[in-house]
Amino acid sequence: MIGEALKGHLDLLLLAILAEGPAHGYAIIEALRRKSKGTFDLPEGTIYPALHRLERQDLLHSHWLEDSARRKRIYSLTTKGRQALTQRQDEWKKFSTAINATVGI
Amino acid sequence: MKDFRIHAYLRRLERHLWIQGFADRETLTEIESHLFESMESGLQQGLSPEEAERSALERFGSVKEMAAMFEKERNPMLQKIFLVTAVVAGLFFAYVDSRPTWDDTGILAGGILLTCGLISLLGFRRPWLLGLAVGAWIPLRGILITHNFGSVLALIIAFVGAYGGWIFRLGIRKTFHLA
Repeated sequence: MIGEALKGHLDLLLLAILAEGPAHGYAIIEALRRKSKGTFDLPEGTIYPALHRLERQDLLHSHWLEDSARRKRIYSLTTKGRQALTQRQDEWKKFSTAINATVGI
Repeated sequence: MKDFRIHAYLRRLERHLWIQGFADRETLTEIESHLFESMESGLQQGLSPEEAERSALERFGSVKEMAAMFEKERNPMLQKIFLVTAVVAGLFFAYVDSRPTWDDTGILAGGILLTCGLISLLGFRRPWLLGLAVGAWIPLRGILITHNFGSVLALIIAFVGAYGGWIFRLGIRKTFHLA
């Protein structure tokens, strides 16, 4: 259930993780798992179509890094991505405040 | 060289994505890198190589799930509009071809070729489906009603147009580094 609910907010989570600095897909998944203390445990592949879409929307930028062992695609936020993150954080605050007030938390 | 299950997974995913019209080598490289990093992490946690590889693949998601997610993220509504347009165009060509007064095969062939090429170039991702959607109607009618097996040529022309437009679009994307 958490996985399904999470999919609707994946963009916000990805943007928020990348606001802390550039990262590749595996590191993003690890950060999601670490920060949520294991609650956000999506199928790892889920993030790639979303990352590619965010890049097509110019919210992310990527470049390839030749690691010692393998090539890694590193994603970072664009200026437009930072603006989108701020906007989505505001929307989330309003939404979560309303939900909390309604369910009595 | 050891044949990892990860490589078999990537080959299956590549086939699925190819059928969907994605020919993106970079995405597969990225996924391969992820899976091997995940496997290494499992090894560091004390799993056997087989367990680490299986765990990496399980955590990543199945080929079908992945292919479906890529499909969902790539504007499915536009793809449906392209497909409906292709079917309508194919039926129109079949109607024109069925008219007893119509005998200009060259114009019809050019129309099929251009229609398929244009729809592919605009972004329809399944050239094989586009070829069928535009080019199947004339041979269907030709073979079933008039037993004209030469009408299969319309299907071949449709495939040439669809794949021509598709290859041209991939070339443009590669040249200008478009996502």
